[in-house]
Amino acid sequence: MSKIVILGAGISGHVAASHLRRKLSKDHEVVVVSPNSNYQWIPSNIWVGIGRMKSKKILFPLAPLYKKKGIGYKQAKAVTFHPEGDKTEQKPYVLAEYVAGEKKGTQEKVTYDYLINATGPKLNFEATEGLIPGENKTYSVCTYTHADHAWHGLNEVIQQMKNGKKAKILIGTGHAKSTCQGAAFEYILNVEQELRRHKVRDMAEITWISNEFLLGDFGMDGMLMSYGSMTMKSNEMIEMIFEDRDIKWITGAGVNKIEDGIAHYENLDGEYKTETYDFAMLIPAFSGHGFKAYDKNDNDITDKLFKGFMIVDADYTPKPYEQWSVQDWPETYQNPSYKNIFAPGIAFAPPHTISKPRKSKNGTDIFPAPPRTGMPSGITAKLVADNIIDSIKSGKESLHHKGSMGNMGAACIASAGYGMTQGSGVSITTYPIVPDYNKYPKTQGRKLGKTFGDIGLAGHWLKLALHYAFIYKAKMKPFWWLIPE
Amino acid sequence: MTQRISKYQRFKMMNPIIQFFKFIYLSIKIMIVVAGGHGGTRKVN
Ligand SMILES: Cc1cc2nc3c(=O)[nH]c(=O)nc-3n(C[C@H](O)[C@H](O)[C@H](O)COP(=O)(O)OP(=O)(O)OC[C@H]3O[C@@H](n4cnc5c(N)ncnc54)[C@H](O)[C@@H]3O)c2cc1C
Repeated sequence: MSKIVILGAGISGHVAASHLRRKLSKDHEVVVVSPNSNYQWIPSNIWVGIGRMKSKKILFPLAPLYKKKGIGYKQAKAVTFHPEGDKTEQKPYVLAEYVAGEKKGTQEKVTYDYLINATGPKLNFEATEGLIPGENKTYSVCTYTHADHAWHGLNEVIQQMKNGKKAKILIGTGHAKSTCQGAAFEYILNVEQELRRHKVRDMAEITWISNEFLLGDFGMDGMLMSYGSMTMKSNEMIEMIFEDRDIKWITGAGVNKIEDGIAHYENLDGEYKTETYDFAMLIPAFSGHGFKAYDKNDNDITDKLFKGFMIVDADYTPKPYEQWSVQDWPETYQNPSYKNIFAPGIAFAPPHTISKPRKSKNGTDIFPAPPRTGMPSGITAKLVADNIIDSIKSGKESLHHKGSMGNMGAACIASAGYGMTQGSGVSITTYPIVPDYNKYPKTQGRKLGKTFGDIGLAGHWLKLALHYAFIYKAKMKPFWWLIPE
Repeated sequence: MTQRISKYQRFKMMNPIIQFFKFIYLSIKIMIVVAGGHGGTRKVN
């Protein structure tokens, strides 16, 4: 009998738990340790943040589902890692602290045979002074509670505009090394459309601010894509959309401080500037959770497990951008020191960024961190689960399932406005996610045809269809596993 | 405001009938990218 412990019940933790439970007999224990009581379909937070979807539509409670499916669940957060056990506990364990219920505040050693760290990112608002969701007129849409607040903030500004007050809206990244530009991009287009729907568009100046060197970088170094019968660069496509929607943009900007209605930033020319606003949604930096790890004698071994995020089978040797290759990226998400620990989704430490690193004239790093969107998070979680299942069934380590982001496609259906007849979406697929310049030297590392963009109402329907399909899948309803990650 | 998307393009982007077929086309295309699979990138010795 094996015990598999999964830390985190986000996209990757939940995918891993559900596949493990489906494919392993009940002799084996599957336990999820996560502080959140609800599962949330994060991509739909965009619509919560414009008041077009209630947050209850994007979430459901985990405890009843896990009980019904025979998955153990502890509403707790991992505190420290003990991959060799300790003087009193022979088995490896994670020290977890309950965050709710009768056991709230108490700690427990959760032992395991296999550990999946799917704790995603820490939303590191503290990295930018004054960037606090709901304060200084800045908001976030990274969780459903943040998105609810954002809608209240936006609605207030809409009402003021209806009373004749002009407003400035600022959306983008809130740190020089933020990622998740895609979410901010969706939000700015949705906000723009909502302002038109509320008939106050002419009262607002909307500005995009981002650490990307060029628009459409998305933390993936931009892409060359098929667009209809043309081949277009992603920056040209996004520029076309922004100009058409009358959205201004500031790129190469590292936001470093927020005051009430003022964003301070440094640009790549080394200039320190400010941008004022009445409503801002700025994505914070993502960081690791700052976990500590100890060996059986209680010595600190954090650097064997973590490099900010968790260390996996990537090549972390520092090298210049020109020497980066797809081979640097992990394939199995296994920790090299402790082979029964894996980290799919956002929880693994990337070998480097995907976008070209750039410094301002003052030496400040200003470029996007690498994104790990929902699809790769799900795919990597499933392959980790499959390798564990094979290892348990065969009685020896099996790592047949591989999935490097350099050999994996991703679809990003960005909502560009809500509505069954008035909505719009920007559908982009990228293959591979990490550009492979050896395989595709003439097309900026990507395969044209499999890397394409499209704009229109169908994109909105697609995003809505994905919302329902993935919530159905997450609820583990009949034949859920037929829906791909 | 700069009109970068022509009226005809916009009509095509927002016409529900054209977009219905686009929806099917995009769903299939995305499935091909996703179902196209994934794997490693390193040579196995
Ligand atoms: C607003 C927004 C919109 C997005 N839109 C899209 C989109 O349209 N398409 C797309 O593909 N991707 C999108 N993404 C990205 C996508 O949401 C992420 O890729 C995905 O959520 C990553 O999954 P994950 O499981 O690795 O991390 P998460 O989903 O962040 O899950 C992490 C889990 O770990 C738990 N946890 C945290 N700390 C601990 C601890 N100490 N112990 C135990 N558990 C812990 C958390 O509670 C959570 O359950 C969007 C992201 C945002 C913010």
